[in-house]
Amino acid sequence: MFEKIERETSNNERAEKALICARRVGFRYSAEGEWILKNFSFELSAGEIMAVLGPNGRGKTTLLKLLIGLVKPVEGSIRCGGRLSYVPQVSTPAFDYKVLDMVVMGRAAEIGLFAVPGARDYKYAEEALLRLGIADLAQRNYSRLSGGQRQLVLIARALVSAPCGLVLDEPTSALDFKNQDLILRTLRQLAEQGLSIVMTTHAPNHALHVASRILILEQKTEYLYGPPSEVMTHEELHRLYGLELKKLTFEHHGQELQSVVPIFS
Amino acid sequence: MKKRCLEYTGIFCCLFFSLLAAFSVGRYIIPFKEVCGILISYIAPVEPYWTDIQYRVVTLIRIPRVLGAGLAGATLAMAGAALQGILKNPLVSPQVIGVSTGAAFGGVLAILLFESSLATMGLAYAGGLLSLIAVWVLCNRGRGASPLSLVLGGIIINAFFTALISLIEYVADPYDKLPAIVVWLMGSFASLSYDKLFRSAPPLLLAGTLLWMLRFRINVLSLGSEEAQSLGIDVTRTRWLVMAVVAMVASATVAMAGVVGWIGLVVPHITRMFVGNDHKRLIPLSCFLGGMYTILVDTLARTLVEVEIPMGVLTALVGTPLFAFLMYRLMKDER
Amino acid sequence: MYLNKQKFMGKTIVLSALIGISLFAGFAFAADSVVFGDQYGREVKLDKPAQRIVTVPIPAASMVMALDGTDQHLVGMNPSAKRALLEGILGKFFPSSANINSDIVMGEGFAPNVETLLTLAPDIVFQWGDRGDDIVKPIEAAKLNLALLKYGTQEDLETWIGMFGAALGKTKRADKILDWHRSERAQLEKAVAAIPQDKRPKIVYLYRYGDSIQIGGQNSYFDYFIKMVGGVNPAENSPSESQINEEQLLTWDPDIILLNGFQSALAPDDVYANANLAGIKAIKNRHVYKMPLGGYRWDPPNQESPLMWKWLAMLAHPDTFNWDLRSDIVEAYRFLYNQEPTQEDIDGILRLPMNATAANYSKFTQSK
Repeated sequence: MFEKIERETSNNERAEKALICARRVGFRYSAEGEWILKNFSFELSAGEIMAVLGPNGRGKTTLLKLLIGLVKPVEGSIRCGGRLSYVPQVSTPAFDYKVLDMVVMGRAAEIGLFAVPGARDYKYAEEALLRLGIADLAQRNYSRLSGGQRQLVLIARALVSAPCGLVLDEPTSALDFKNQDLILRTLRQLAEQGLSIVMTTHAPNHALHVASRILILEQKTEYLYGPPSEVMTHEELHRLYGLELKKLTFEHHGQELQSVVPIFS
Repeated sequence: MKKRCLEYTGIFCCLFFSLLAAFSVGRYIIPFKEVCGILISYIAPVEPYWTDIQYRVVTLIRIPRVLGAGLAGATLAMAGAALQGILKNPLVSPQVIGVSTGAAFGGVLAILLFESSLATMGLAYAGGLLSLIAVWVLCNRGRGASPLSLVLGGIIINAFFTALISLIEYVADPYDKLPAIVVWLMGSFASLSYDKLFRSAPPLLLAGTLLWMLRFRINVLSLGSEEAQSLGIDVTRTRWLVMAVVAMVASATVAMAGVVGWIGLVVPHITRMFVGNDHKRLIPLSCFLGGMYTILVDTLARTLVEVEIPMGVLTALVGTPLFAFLMYRLMKDER
Repeated sequence: MYLNKQKFMGKTIVLSALIGISLFAGFAFAADSVVFGDQYGREVKLDKPAQRIVTVPIPAASMVMALDGTDQHLVGMNPSAKRALLEGILGKFFPSSANINSDIVMGEGFAPNVETLLTLAPDIVFQWGDRGDDIVKPIEAAKLNLALLKYGTQEDLETWIGMFGAALGKTKRADKILDWHRSERAQLEKAVAAIPQDKRPKIVYLYRYGDSIQIGGQNSYFDYFIKMVGGVNPAENSPSESQINEEQLLTWDPDIILLNGFQSALAPDDVYANANLAGIKAIKNRHVYKMPLGGYRWDPPNQESPLMWKWLAMLAHPDTFNWDLRSDIVEAYRFLYNQEPTQEDIDGILRLPMNATAANYSKFTQSK
């Protein structure tokens, strides 16, 4: 009894500090439709990274849409201490733009229907590029960039609207190791600067590497939420990915590192 | 900034000289000196040294026609660029969304039923509006606005009105109405009077201004529905706004000169090859190039031979080789 | 597009048709059976002269009536032909022609409505032969007697007259009409040959005037009759029925402008009112004329064409030619239609209200 009260108190404290706070959220597209997400809660403080894991078609994208406000929860609530910016997956655009033009589009919400970005908007865009260390790409064509550079440009675009957090859709997929590292490092730096970050990923290693909170979307309306040490157990990962895997802990330059290795049949 | 200034000065010079050239040539030979005199007499008093006929040819026939062609070409090119942007598809032109065909049907119906250019213009607008509404209804009464649904809706409406046009051609008196319908469907600025110009100019100028103002939004929309939406803009409403403006251009140009194809596809592409895809620059430059291109083509249409060459034929004949050449160059660069 | 047809085949076919008629009519068949060749090498055989005729081509309807001298044997015609007929004098001459079926085509073109054709049970159907197989095959498939026509020249017109005469069993009457056409033409051509080139006026025929201006050009019947009456067609090298602009008309600066009879509301005043065209000689001198409408519109080749040649020749060369066209019309109509046109009828044919204010037109008005 006593224990339970204590736990609730600590939860409330966490919730108060949290930048993003989801409470018993449920969502379905129509009144008779199936619940896509139900009864899930989490909170995320400034400077924290949450990785969302789960098989395809389990509502990861819907969750991201809920977070950036493209759809509204049917049940429960999502409270947010500021603006969340969305970073889409890297794709080849229909039209090729200069990087600076691409980034300045992040200001669209602030720029009127019939207006074009002004000097101030371009200044924000340049600052965002500078912040990610890619100011030299400003005049390059977006489609001529590498996957990692493109992802950085998209992150920069999300940053120009001065958000309190970023929501990223599989930011490391389709990137080679070096670029994966580049993006994860960048996300970590941004978190250190105080941004809350939510990212979906299919790579448990990436989650282990950067995330302080993990949200695993399981069957239908079940979910698992907590710090990696609690949530990313061997059993849980086995269940999630449906194959044998090994969780390794090893030392590298005096640092204890964790890695999940799938055992392919 | 200085570079841009120079660029726009260059463009204005080109525009000025193409206008001057277009005013100066025609089937009725008028010496250049006389043309200049007549034009100057608009702004300063000049002792007339030209004949009445020369004066009337320049002021009553050439000026409205050239200005009308320029205006139609400029707005069609902008509309094409905008539509390509919002539909994320460089292969669409204002014809694709069915509005031109709807407007053409209206005009053809008017030729069949009445014998007045006012009725032709009126019904062309009505047909354009009707087809836009039809596309809108097809797209779940405007709630859907994905490029796919818009293009598909447009294709359906296009096919429907094409069939109706064929039906009218079928029932039109082969000696009286049919020749007029055939000529009208091929597009021509030959009958452009001040009356027609003044009736078409306000919607075209309004549409052009709106497209110019929307140029940044078109950039954002070209990223695709989800991405644009996540950047905080109302994708559906903005897309329909652009659609409506494009529809206005398509109907107004059809009402003015019949079906003038190709400009909305070719000119934006040629412009892209010069300035890239950024609609902030693409739209204004398409406007200038579209205007100049159409003035050039129309000048050829009315001067090359005794008879008028249909605009639809010439825009394609002049446009495709130019287009092919530029594409060839571009492909070579890419390798 | 519709009127400039090739001239080849012309005379050989007339000849072979005539030979065919005389040969077969002479001995191969019973006395009243009919055989003739059409303009596309078909041989048409009828047991007896056609009692029920359907004409799909527009000008053919009134020609059949003229050849027949009555409307009794025409059972189906093009809706456009019927409009011209009711608008013109034939509707008055033959009031019962208003009841002739005009549902024989789909819509208004030339695609046959076979079901109506079968209901009408025609002895023969006349159809265009130069507009593709699609409008011919269905009639063939219905096993109806079919003769194909070619359009454009005076030779073609004369062939038609021979064919219609043969089909109706009235070859003598056809020959009479042909003689009239040929003698009027020969007379006119002889007189015109004497006119020096510099005395020949520039005549432009406007096939359409309105939102577009279209002209009668190369190889058209319009070009043919302009030259025949001693005029010069400045548009002779341009494809017929193509569009021109007002500047081109100013450049040609024609002495005479002819307005087509197809656009019924179009009047010379529409041209006079166009400020863009002011300064053209034809407009300054009020030489803009609306083409008359008799048994058929006088623009395309038709049974009344000699009257049109005279009308135009009198306008082109007012000092050289002077006939009493009004009595010529009366005489021709007596022969062609067995009818007596009133003075008001003739005013209507010559479009007198529209042309009344035109120069040189007083010679066509009633003598008071």
